[in-house]
Amino acid sequence: MAGLVIAGLRLAVAGVFLYAGTLKIWDFTHLRSATPDFTIAIQNFRLLPSPDLALLLAVYLPWLEVTAASALFIRRLALGAATALLGLSAVFLGAVGSAWWRGLDIACGCFGKENAPADFRFLLLRNTALLAAVTVLFLHEWRRPSPTPPHP
Amino acid sequence: MIARAARQLALVLALALVPAVVSGAWQLAWKKAEPLAAGEVRLATAREWGARVQWVDARSRAKFERTRIPGALLLNEDEWDKLVGPFLDAWDADKTLVVYCDGGSCEASHQVAARLRKDLMIGGVLVLKGGFAEWQGL
Repeated sequence: MAGLVIAGLRLAVAGVFLYAGTLKIWDFTHLRSATPDFTIAIQNFRLLPSPDLALLLAVYLPWLEVTAASALFIRRLALGAATALLGLSAVFLGAVGSAWWRGLDIACGCFGKENAPADFRFLLLRNTALLAAVTVLFLHEWRRPSPTPPHP
Repeated sequence: MIARAARQLALVLALALVPAVVSGAWQLAWKKAEPLAAGEVRLATAREWGARVQWVDARSRAKFERTRIPGALLLNEDEWDKLVGPFLDAWDADKTLVVYCDGGSCEASHQVAARLRKDLMIGGVLVLKGGFAEWQGL
């Protein structure tokens, strides 16, 4: 039963990050790169000192989401992937919480371009649930024995 | 266990770097080759025009007040009725209007440009390709 729950969580978490990462990489509506929109979404949070840093993150973060989500299914990388996703979830939750705290009227950009301003209470709940799910996966991988026994 | 987590994390971070670098390089190349749509102008061209350009900021007031292209006038769809009077007072008709919004796939600049052409019968209104993000060098 526990194995089934973990498998379900793994699928759900990987699905969310694969979906979110893909939409931040490619704008399927305009059939173009989504990086400019994600760069603007990052800048709107006003957490970074430089626009260049926002651009670098906009290029790298979506690929990290996609790579880590895929690596969740690779036994030898699952712990690293869960660690990366744990960090990402915490950062996302922190960014949303900070924007809400500062009263910013911005779109989340969590799943590509969004025109409507974010409902921060909903986002906080959603991101907290995601962080909880990733934490469970992380703890599972942490306790799991290493796939390669140590050399004598 | 910490060492194993750190080693795997480093590998995942490095694996993600590969497509990110390829994607970033591809986007830079693609951006240079991207054709202009009707009524759009590139930043380099508008910069060459210098003082003959009147920048029009079609973003929200909050964004305009935070940061903008120097000398830009605020004119957006949300506050059109309130802003259009001061805008016309401030605009020197000898200057070419170049409208911008955030960049990316934002539509506000195209909407404001269309309205300037249609409602105010102003010809030659252009939209900045890449928007404010382009101005920031992104």
